[in-house]
Amino acid sequence: MDLLSPVIAGFGVVFQPENLLYCLLGVTLGMLVGVLPGLGPAATIAVLLPITYNIEPTASIIMLAGIFYGAQYGGTITSVLLRLPGEASTVVTALDGHELARQGRAGSALGISAIGSFVGGTVAIVALTLVAPLVAGFALDFGPSEYTALALLGILLITTLGTGSPLKSLLMATVGLLLATVGQDPLDGVARLTLGTDRLLDGIDFVIVAMGLFGVAEILHNLESLRRPGTPMTSVGSVYPTRRDLTESKGAIARGSVLGFLLGILPGGGATMSSMAAYALEKKVAKRPERFGKGAVQGVAGPETANNAAATSSFIPLLTLGIPANATMAVMFGALLVQGITPGPTLVDEKPDLFWGVVNSMYVGNLLLLAMSMPLIGLFVRVLRVRPTILAPLTILITMIGVYTVRLSAFDMFLMVGLGVLGYLMKKVGFEPGPLVLAFVLGGLLESSFRRSMRIFGGDVTGFLTQPITAVLLAAIVLILVTPLILRLARRGTAA
Amino acid sequence: MRIGVLLATAALAASASACSVKGGGADADSSGYPAKPVEFTAPQEPGGSTDLLTRALTKNLEKPLGAKAVVVNKPGANGKIAGKDVFSGKPDGYRVAVMPQSLFAVGPLMIDDPDAIKVEDMTLVKGLAVEDYVLVVPGGSPHRTLKDLLGAGDLKYGTTGAGTGSQLSQTLLFGLAKVKAAPVPFDGGAPTVTAVLGRKVDVAAVHVAEAYKQVQAGKLRALAVFSDRRHVALPDVPTAKESGYPVLVDQRRFVAAPPGLPADVRDKLAAAIDKAAASPEYLQLLKTSHIVPWNAGGEQVAAQLNESRQRFTTMARDLGIDLKAQP
Repeated sequence: MDLLSPVIAGFGVVFQPENLLYCLLGVTLGMLVGVLPGLGPAATIAVLLPITYNIEPTASIIMLAGIFYGAQYGGTITSVLLRLPGEASTVVTALDGHELARQGRAGSALGISAIGSFVGGTVAIVALTLVAPLVAGFALDFGPSEYTALALLGILLITTLGTGSPLKSLLMATVGLLLATVGQDPLDGVARLTLGTDRLLDGIDFVIVAMGLFGVAEILHNLESLRRPGTPMTSVGSVYPTRRDLTESKGAIARGSVLGFLLGILPGGGATMSSMAAYALEKKVAKRPERFGKGAVQGVAGPETANNAAATSSFIPLLTLGIPANATMAVMFGALLVQGITPGPTLVDEKPDLFWGVVNSMYVGNLLLLAMSMPLIGLFVRVLRVRPTILAPLTILITMIGVYTVRLSAFDMFLMVGLGVLGYLMKKVGFEPGPLVLAFVLGGLLESSFRRSMRIFGGDVTGFLTQPITAVLLAAIVLILVTPLILRLARRGTAA
Repeated sequence: MRIGVLLATAALAASASACSVKGGGADADSSGYPAKPVEFTAPQEPGGSTDLLTRALTKNLEKPLGAKAVVVNKPGANGKIAGKDVFSGKPDGYRVAVMPQSLFAVGPLMIDDPDAIKVEDMTLVKGLAVEDYVLVVPGGSPHRTLKDLLGAGDLKYGTTGAGTGSQLSQTLLFGLAKVKAAPVPFDGGAPTVTAVLGRKVDVAAVHVAEAYKQVQAGKLRALAVFSDRRHVALPDVPTAKESGYPVLVDQRRFVAAPPGLPADVRDKLAAAIDKAAASPEYLQLLKTSHIVPWNAGGEQVAAQLNESRQRFTTMARDLGIDLKAQP
């Protein structure tokens, strides 16, 4: 079989005018969202979910994917110019990026991050093209027991690798698991925690959880801090990096590409984590680490490359195994389901048009972003001046209309607002919604896979250890749980 | 520019919501029917087979009906959410629902629900389509025939969920053959097929459309269909009945309205659906989805629902299977 022919056919899908248009729309929207602080890609994709019903599946996923990686470009702009990260994944960019801007070299910072993002994204797509079919190839070996271990691993990694406190993450994950049990028992059909209403019989819709906790909560949270820390700088300077900038960031871009790609695949990883890891790595390998925080170009190039590579590679576990690696991918998972597409091992085979169309649209999207980002920086800076008092209510309105249209249900609308308020309160006391949403998605998988496995093993728990892949995954879980303890003990040993 | 983007987004959202038309308003005079758009509620998310079917039907319905026909999606609980909503409305013929047979003939046998919709709770308008179940094993399975499989014993069988025909057909088959078999329910057809392909279960029953491609590719082997006669798309696959196990389980879809719909309104609607169901576009959709048309009037639909429910109950009782205890 010709391995490349579906890949090339995928380009045919991308170059259909309609799909190109949605790709352009996606990346532009993504950039805009990245620029606007507080409105993250997960929230935007969640808000747009219901609108995508009326768009053909491939086109809608192309657009949503564009929003995700486009936001990685846009987030940089506010990080650099305002020291106000538009995106969690661009927080570390603000450290050196804004310093560069204060030295009048904002252009260099923005230019280098656009180039880095492009390189990181492209490297990740090439790797994705090669790796995804391989993963999908052995994905049929993934059955109930493997999914049980994988879901467990995912939830564990979110709680330990997350940006917040592990204890809080664990608590949030537990709430997510609990919410996931609402509705009909997945195996027996018995109603659980439905409070006696048919509305909850099918469980809580993921769209509602995502829009409430990400969308509404974020907006409410932002309304609290209406003041802007400063007016955007009007002069950006040249947006084209100097030759010296490029030479200095070559290594950082290469390392960021690889690191971002790898961390993006990991459950619980993704853009935010990889940008932070890349910053730490650059500081470690730098000849003059003291320059970091004072305007080191590498401190911008590394993280910006990594977050874009990760944004791309996190599509691998989603599309091939049906497992979302991070919160944004969880929303993307919902988008696919809404379109009647179940991401999983058979997707590459059964929907090659969709799969390769989406993958290849990322090449095109990254090119578009590179072409647009530098000339359009000035425009996006002006967008920053939209008053939140106008933007916030409008977004909430769109969210409400959106959630209503899913099932024409006012109940869902109230549920979403309720979850939004809950999410706002959570944020206020330092609880991130990410672990909750991800555990909510993985919880259903965990429960039903575990119970299916038990049926297959005839009720014998040791059956899990007879499956090679499952056993390896379980070993990894034990390792992750035990390693910190051993390290602590070892440290105590040397100290004594 | 920035306002423009926001407005465009808002407009997009608004247009997405605008496709709903509420069928309120009393139209006592049924001779004027239809005087406004007729709303078809599909009990499934957009993009699913029922949704596509409903959309292909309504598209071709507008001309014979002489009014606009609008599709509204109200997914959930195998059609119960949509049914409860539509059948509590006025019997004026402006809001109807596409309902699955399994909600009335399969689910109640397996799941206790005091609040379930009953056949009397609706006016049956017209049968639409029949979807058959096919029993499949992995392509490389040692079981070449149904007899082989049933001789193996101690099977793990995949089902497409609790209260589905996929579960019922296999429970009855293995009960009839007195084979020790444990059900492993999955969440719909696609994951069930994946589980068979990956040999996580020995066998599963799924809709023909869900298995057809893989059967053609040799990755799945079809051993039996649970219909009265062989399926047009799988002419070489015997029926379970032919193999000596008279298990007849299929999924049917039909149009229903609130109880008490005036007979002339019902007839008008049924006649228009008849014409739409004969349109090339609709038939083509059925064909590519391996679904068979079901040209049945309201009484026939009622008879089918009651008959199959009765048959399943009797069969289970005779076999000594407690369907409710079946997970």
